[in-house]
Amino acid sequence: MVNDEGQLYTIEGVAAALIMLLTAYLIVGATSMYTPGDAHISDMQLEVLGSDALTMMDIPPNGTVTASPLQQIIENDSYGGGQFRVMFMNYTNVSGYGPKHDIQFSANYTYRVPADATLMSVNINSSRYLTGGEHAIRVTKWVIVNKKLPPDTGVLGRRAVLVEVLLWRD
Amino acid sequence: MARLNDDAQWIILMGFLVSFSLFFLALIINQSTVVGQTTAESVIEFPKNDIRDISQVIKEHAGNNGTINDPVYQDIIALSIQRKGAVVNYTLNTVYTRGPLTTDMRNYSLIHYNNGVTTYNENWTSY
Repeated sequence: MVNDEGQLYTIEGVAAALIMLLTAYLIVGATSMYTPGDAHISDMQLEVLGSDALTMMDIPPNGTVTASPLQQIIENDSYGGGQFRVMFMNYTNVSGYGPKHDIQFSANYTYRVPADATLMSVNINSSRYLTGGEHAIRVTKWVIVNKKLPPDTGVLGRRAVLVEVLLWRD
Repeated sequence: MARLNDDAQWIILMGFLVSFSLFFLALIINQSTVVGQTTAESVIEFPKNDIRDISQVIKEHAGNNGTINDPVYQDIIALSIQRKGAVVNYTLNTVYTRGPLTTDMRNYSLIHYNNGVTTYNENWTSY
């Protein structure tokens, strides 16, 4: 037969256990602070956004077999940078209609110099100059272009270049 | 109340059991955020976009068959290791099969990718 005396002591014991439990839980929970490692999660979102925008720019319009906008941008140095800026800022919702992101970018492309196998980077466009304090992530896209690379000594033909875009929020 | 009442020991024992099980449940809940972070980090570490991109650009070049002197081949190898930190090598091949009426043309590509964490090999045939 279960004895039902001393109920108040029992309640006191349960209350003390709950208080200890709560304290332990709070202490254990407090150690998982917001570390810089957690920032990767928002980096991932930015990376997906940027690489999706670059993929969209590398698709030829209307299904016709022609150069994609990104190929045309690289092949035409004179107006390419401005066009890249307009398209990229539209696709990443920096400009245009609707809610806007506060995203800055700096884009360039890199090619190989056949004569000495060194690499050269050419700036395409940037919305702001990098100061070094930004927490930027990089998205890249391979593009095959028909261009003289390097422009002065190169031979016109198909070449692979790597478009690199640094993205950051301010 | 001269002495401590030592009744209801079973109830106290059960109270302890319940509180300990609650404690372990709280520990499990506490760990779940760490699991989410680890998953997110391994998603970032896997170079999904890089692999898709290199595979797509190589197939785009299929048909213009790469030799060692092909500038596109040399561009991809050099840029990939120096700007992306990934060792990439690929072979493109076109095989013509002469049938009685028509000639079939098929493009083959064999891609090797290794960025030090992830190794990816791909063997593709166009039909």
